[in-house]
Amino acid sequence: MVVDDHPMWRDGVARDLAAAGYEVVATTGEGRQAVRIAAAARPDVVVLDLQLPDISGVEVINGLLTAVPGVRVLMLSASGEQQSVLDAVKAGASGYLLKSAAQAEFLDAVGRTAAGDTVFTPGLAGLVLGEFRRLAVEPAGDDGMAPKLTERETEVLRLVAKGLSYRQIAERLVLSHRTVQNHVQNTLGKLQLHNRVELTRYAIEQGLD
Amino acid sequence: MAETSGLQAPLWRAVAVYRIAALVYVAVLVVRNVRDYERPMLVWPVLALTAGWTVFTTYAYSVPSRRKPPLLAADLLVTMAVMASSAWIVGADALRHGTPTLAVAWHVAPVIAWAVAGGRRGGIAAALAMGATDLIVRNHWDQAAYTGTVLMLLAALAVGYLVGIAEVSQRRLERAIQLEAATRERERLARDIHDSVLQVLALVKRRGAGLDGEAGELARLAGEQEAALRTLVTGRSAEPVDERAEVDLMALLDPYASATVSVAAPAGAVRLPSRTANEVTAAVAAALDNVTRHCDPGTKVWVLVEDEPESVTVSVRDDGCGIAADRLAEAESQGRLGVAQSIRGRIAELGGTVRITSAPGQGTEVEMTVPRS
Repeated sequence: MVVDDHPMWRDGVARDLAAAGYEVVATTGEGRQAVRIAAAARPDVVVLDLQLPDISGVEVINGLLTAVPGVRVLMLSASGEQQSVLDAVKAGASGYLLKSAAQAEFLDAVGRTAAGDTVFTPGLAGLVLGEFRRLAVEPAGDDGMAPKLTERETEVLRLVAKGLSYRQIAERLVLSHRTVQNHVQNTLGKLQLHNRVELTRYAIEQGLD
Repeated sequence: MAETSGLQAPLWRAVAVYRIAALVYVAVLVVRNVRDYERPMLVWPVLALTAGWTVFTTYAYSVPSRRKPPLLAADLLVTMAVMASSAWIVGADALRHGTPTLAVAWHVAPVIAWAVAGGRRGGIAAALAMGATDLIVRNHWDQAAYTGTVLMLLAALAVGYLVGIAEVSQRRLERAIQLEAATRERERLARDIHDSVLQVLALVKRRGAGLDGEAGELARLAGEQEAALRTLVTGRSAEPVDERAEVDLMALLDPYASATVSVAAPAGAVRLPSRTANEVTAAVAAALDNVTRHCDPGTKVWVLVEDEPESVTVSVRDDGCGIAADRLAEAESQGRLGVAQSIRGRIAELGGTVRITSAPGQGTEVEMTVPRS
């Protein structure tokens, strides 16, 4: 499923995906509609433009995950607005790519997303690293709940941010490709879990059930 | 100084209110004292003129374009004339015995008007002229008489000073509003560019990337413009600050992002003292420059900025040709390796450390760590 408010883009991406052997079950240019359609079309992967005209990326992702539990969301954005990319990843997106990425890179990313892997750009790795550092130095009123990265995870994430491929990282750290992949995925999982815990805590504090 | 600043409007209203209140006071005094006057019948036309002039000036001063020297001069002269008429109507005798003039208190209004329009100098000039008239008319030269004039002078000074301050604040306010408008316009442009130009450029780059010849070249150019434009619209603003103030390092580093240079950083600002940030930026620029000069065109570079509590680490890694370890050391020992030296020098001066790792065929990585303060 392709969600993008730019018609040329939407069609181009859908064509590329179809040519590469994927079945495009739906396309739309609006967030609310995307959530509605997804409930019926039940896609495995949603290619989502982060900046839609009606609702924010975070809202679309929340809606999609509620409508189709387990759906994988690959975000695309043209401008790489850092905070919204980070927010979307925390909300549960499983990968991120700049729109300027080459076609082969894009198809590879869709494939990996479909297979359940996380797609990280160096920029996203930098954002995630920064977020963990920010959480670590935040006032410790959180009764020690701030998520932490293991040394290995930090090491892997730094190498991703420096542009090394998983294969190169695996070589350098003498790990298997799968292990590197798992480390990257864990960092994202921790961040998303922390985000859900924070939201729940907020809801309880505000007296909502 | 007679420019129309928004903060002057309340002052002009205050002058009008003062004049009306003073008119009421004059009327009350006239009614009470009229039997002591030398020519009581003539006082009524003068009082009518006073009231008429009060109404006229209230109306005239309400429009900024009319607050000009002709009106101000007329105001001063009419008020002086009303005051001078007291010598004849009230009579020199009564005046000498302390009966107030027909313009008592009311005569301060034009002085304040002069101060509002002309600042301290205008106020003082009008106060001196009006004070002299007052003293001559009353022909009454004692401390009480001088006190009135001195009070008027002080009032003129205070109002003039206030007007000066009002003008400065007005100018600041206007500048702030301009800045805000500019920022908003920039955001609007960024939205527009994002919605249209960026998308199309990215599309051109993407669809043309696999093509040969001219089409491929066009796609590459589109890609470069796309990256430059993206940096421009998402760019953070580096406000001009003095040496000691902190700036966002990313505002300085983000512009280096391009089709071949990836800049990874935390989402928030990376605050560093201005000098440190500038030196780090120069070091990064030197490292990037080195890549363009010594490696094949199209060599990719990744810049990673890490914001730690005690220090900031910036790594610049390329996937280019790399340098053999012995060659690096050799060149450095001979003082030939300009880049390494310039980077090491800059960072060492900030109390930081530099680690350069490289191997032939594996690219080069420069890792710079600088303390926060």
